[in-house]
Amino acid sequence: MTMRSDDPSVPEVEADAGVDRRQFLKVLGVSSAGAAALTGCSTDRVAKLVPYMVQSEQQVPGIATVYASTCAECSSGCGVRVTTREARAIKLEGNPEHPVNQGTLCSRGQAGLQALYNPDRIGAPLARNAAGGFDEITWEDATARLAAQLSTANGRLAAINGYGPSTFSALLEGVVGGLGGKVVNWEAFGREAESQANQRTFGRNDLPTYDFGAAHLIVSFGADFLETWATPLEQARGFAASHGYHDGTMAKHVYVGPRMSLTAANADEWFDVPAGTESWIALCLARAAAEHQGSALASELSAYTVAAAAEQTGIAAARIEALATAFATAAPSLAVAGGIAAQHRGAIDLCHAVNLANAAAGNLGKTVHFGTGSTPTAGYAGAQELFGAMGRGELAVVLVHEANPLYALPKSGGFADAFLKVGYKVSTANVMDETAAACDLILPNLHALERWDDRFPRAGVLGLMQPVMEPVKPGMHTGDVLLAAARAVGGPLGSFTAPNFETYLKQAWTIEASHRGASNGEQFWRTALQHGGIYESAPSAAPAVVNSAVGTLIAPTFDGDGEFTFLPYPSSMYHDGRGANKPWLLENPDPVTKITWQSWVELHPDTAQRVDVREGEFVELASPHGMIRAQVYVYPGIRPDTLGMPLGLGHTAYGRYAEGRGVNAVDLLGAADGQGFLPYVATKVSITKTHDYRQVAKTEGTTRQLGRGIIEAMPLAHAVAGMTPKESMTAVGHPPHEVNTERELEAIDGWYEAQKEKWALGDYAREAMPKWGMAVDLSRCTGCSACVTACYAENNIATVGEEQIFKGREMSWMRIERYWEGGEDGEPLEARFAPVMCQHCDNAPCEPVCPVYASYHTPDGLNGQVYNRCVGTRYCSNNCPFKVRYYNWLKYNEKAWPEPLNLQLNPEVTVRARGVMEKCTFCIQRIRGAQHQAKLEDRSLRDGDVVTACQQACPSHAIAFGNVHDPEAAVVRWKRDPRGYTMLEETNVMPAVTYLAKVRAVEPVGHATAATEGEH
Amino acid sequence: MRKRYLLGLGATMAAAAVLAVGISPSDAQQPTSGPAALTSADSANLKGPTQPIFFRHDIHAGELKLQCQYCHYSVGVSTEPGIPSMQTCMGCHALVQGRDSTDKAEIKKLKDAWAAGTPVEWVRIHSLARHVRFPHMSHIKALGPNACATCHGNVARMPQVYKVNNVNNMGFCINCHLERNVTRDCTACHY
Repeated sequence: MTMRSDDPSVPEVEADAGVDRRQFLKVLGVSSAGAAALTGCSTDRVAKLVPYMVQSEQQVPGIATVYASTCAECSSGCGVRVTTREARAIKLEGNPEHPVNQGTLCSRGQAGLQALYNPDRIGAPLARNAAGGFDEITWEDATARLAAQLSTANGRLAAINGYGPSTFSALLEGVVGGLGGKVVNWEAFGREAESQANQRTFGRNDLPTYDFGAAHLIVSFGADFLETWATPLEQARGFAASHGYHDGTMAKHVYVGPRMSLTAANADEWFDVPAGTESWIALCLARAAAEHQGSALASELSAYTVAAAAEQTGIAAARIEALATAFATAAPSLAVAGGIAAQHRGAIDLCHAVNLANAAAGNLGKTVHFGTGSTPTAGYAGAQELFGAMGRGELAVVLVHEANPLYALPKSGGFADAFLKVGYKVSTANVMDETAAACDLILPNLHALERWDDRFPRAGVLGLMQPVMEPVKPGMHTGDVLLAAARAVGGPLGSFTAPNFETYLKQAWTIEASHRGASNGEQFWRTALQHGGIYESAPSAAPAVVNSAVGTLIAPTFDGDGEFTFLPYPSSMYHDGRGANKPWLLENPDPVTKITWQSWVELHPDTAQRVDVREGEFVELASPHGMIRAQVYVYPGIRPDTLGMPLGLGHTAYGRYAEGRGVNAVDLLGAADGQGFLPYVATKVSITKTHDYRQVAKTEGTTRQLGRGIIEAMPLAHAVAGMTPKESMTAVGHPPHEVNTERELEAIDGWYEAQKEKWALGDYAREAMPKWGMAVDLSRCTGCSACVTACYAENNIATVGEEQIFKGREMSWMRIERYWEGGEDGEPLEARFAPVMCQHCDNAPCEPVCPVYASYHTPDGLNGQVYNRCVGTRYCSNNCPFKVRYYNWLKYNEKAWPEPLNLQLNPEVTVRARGVMEKCTFCIQRIRGAQHQAKLEDRSLRDGDVVTACQQACPSHAIAFGNVHDPEAAVVRWKRDPRGYTMLEETNVMPAVTYLAKVRAVEPVGHATAATEGEH
Repeated sequence: MRKRYLLGLGATMAAAAVLAVGISPSDAQQPTSGPAALTSADSANLKGPTQPIFFRHDIHAGELKLQCQYCHYSVGVSTEPGIPSMQTCMGCHALVQGRDSTDKAEIKKLKDAWAAGTPVEWVRIHSLARHVRFPHMSHIKALGPNACATCHGNVARMPQVYKVNNVNNMGFCINCHLERNVTRDCTACHY
């Protein structure tokens, strides 16, 4: 596309219709991509208007149609609302009605769109040929082949299903079971240890839900509840409600584990215990709570003293004692355990200990709700057994659905070899992943947004999915494939008579309706379809402890005799590996390390010094099970005896974005069973220098604030006292250094007034203009980066790739700043997060330096950026103190969205071309859209009419946006909070974004030293 | 939305009935200054690009006084004006056969396309640069339902539509906004 107008005398010139999404959509009712055609031998391309044959009653060109559906990106099963324009999904947002996510959506969920439009999707069924490659075959042929294999399997068949409880899974069970086979439900991050611990403690193996919002003290034992463990969105919301400063109080959060994850970085205290010793602290908590309650458990646990725990963990006894006392008296408190980062061989003991602690403290039924959660799936033991049978050649046919075991299971377990011994292997993956690549038949399933489906993530929640658009690639619903195959096989499968999966699904829902006593099944179905499912609250139970025995805690064992404990952890972007083919997730930096597009190994600074490696240097990690090579990231948030590494990269297949990128941390692990689960933290590794170096593609500059007061924090007492951040600093003996000296004031004399006069230039009608402003509550922000992904999706932001990030050319209009405090000289380490977007300064430094008036102030208080005026001098970016302006260095408009990824582009936002500066607009398309709508309805804008994309996505509701001239607006209320401050106040730029200082339940680290640093 | 659709469908039928009556040979009342009799061969000599069907805005919007919004159905509610679906055309032309051989030949093209299930690909006359937003509905709201001619010219007099105003040129927009003293803020249209 071109930014500047084409020759106006030529009526219909399209520079490049293939890429141009917006023009494509402006051609109303375009029915196919071939909207532009050449006429004669002219070089001018003439745009065609192609009408619909029949106008869809659900589509009005230019107006979004929104469908309710259910997210399929992880097992949380959140509700989504799919925004479609002209029958193309362009944005995923949370469904406010859904009990799990209540309107918010994480990065991984939002990136579901990039699975839908993934350029590497398989477009036809593939069958392995004699040469070992794949041939495209027809769907008739494919279903016939499947049916033939199923009917001759003689019961020697199995399926691996990672989809979870659903009508589809029941169908799969029915078909495979009907033929005498077995379905193994398995997903990489199953929660087997928790489930087994629950069985041990309470005699029931289901998983509870947790009410973080009700807890006064939260203790997490390796459970990364803000990013990957259980239902992060629900937990983040609860965490913000309790741990965010409100009404003069806040909950305290303590994290126990060897690595500071994002969850730990949001804790007030981090107990950096060695991997495997968490149970000692959990048992101290249980004992203290039991003592406080006068329960008999206290004597049973008498051996687990604070002194013993201190000796095992290296944590000062006084800290453990204080935590145990606080836990016992918090009423209610909440302890959680079970994340991958604590999945060592003692994981069941740990979860059992935490169960006892919750039970002893009376948290059951208050912050821990049994009966409302999910039922466990078979998990690792089932998968192991199945692969064992494969290895013994006992299986003729295996079907893999929504799972990628050959990637996620350790190579040392020989799973790939066992898999190859199956006679006929079928995959339903719609991208060629590692498992599909080893199969004989690939039946690419439709994406979740293209198909009828449902899933039941927890008690009371029936999530429904509906096709919101025609399939991007011709595919076939796996449910339809199974039904077609069942019809062909007949015999034992004769009962599957539904003509297609849609009918089958509807039948299942009709039965559900009658179970629930709904008089009208059709009405039940329609209601569910409209709301994205049926959401009811299941009754909460508080089970009694049936077994409080702990036995002798033995130190968990580790494979190998390397020097370091190896700690692979789930990445908040790549998750179990399925995020690795989505550019948004690759480019959105890891919230803690700020690294993009790569794997890295985390070394404590002391370790790095001892091993003599620096950031970016390649090292080899070796365990008894394998060896990998990765770049060093020096990270103060990990124990010196531990090496951390994110899971999810290192694919050998899975499309252009994932293949060959990074390393797979699982390669270092053993496959030995840790009593029903894969023990992720059970390996010792040694480290070897390689003397190779490569830059690390990270988006952070300095890791320290250097006294600039960018992200302010204050202790709870000061917040309660109503202090401003400055007063808080003054109270600890460090008055902020003087801003606006006489000379500075002189220099800017009259400047603000002149600016204000300039804005009014645009206000021709002299109307009462709104002034847009934003407030961000840092005591709620967890740094999860969902807002960043939302911004990419809403504003057509290009992903630039690793090479360009080396050069600092990332385009994220919104970024999460992460600064470290402390961590040196015995001070605890503290992380501070803040979303930073264009601050829309009243005195914007970018505006006066623009030679072409491309950067200017709008009459409604926005810092406007007019792409078609911009000539790319980059003076504005030079002059921006926040560095929130991003320059289009390359033709991203042509290369950032290989087809069909371009179909996701938001037609309301210009796709910027090379040579143009761009930045956060406060989602001006949403502002203008709301203003137009209000005008149509003859009313003025109301507070809440404009919701920015970041605000909408935020799981912890940390962002308020609105008209600051409206005294009733939420944003004005937030801005009046004494905690409010603006970043870099001394520059006098007067930002429209107010930050509300973070509040800590303990004295913020560096609180007393920040001001002195600033005086240097 | 469904309601609107149903209303629209009703209108289709009603209009079809009216048209069928209005053009029936028994109706002797021909407009005195009706559209000129033209054949598709004249298309090349008329201003504006030749379209795949010699569709006469001067007949539909002029002689028959069909509201623009009858076909450009979303102009009052959406940024996009909408172009009629083939079904909308057939709503009338299932009955309306045309009064002369030229009409009949052109209507046959439409019917053939409908029968074949291939939409007619109209040549686009007006299009804006991709960095401009033009919310049709706000302009209709401000200027009234007959404001289309402000930018598009008097289409009701055009046997073949051509570009009257250079809508690609920002000066054209600004002139109007100056006259009416409404916003000239860049981000009203550019974002």
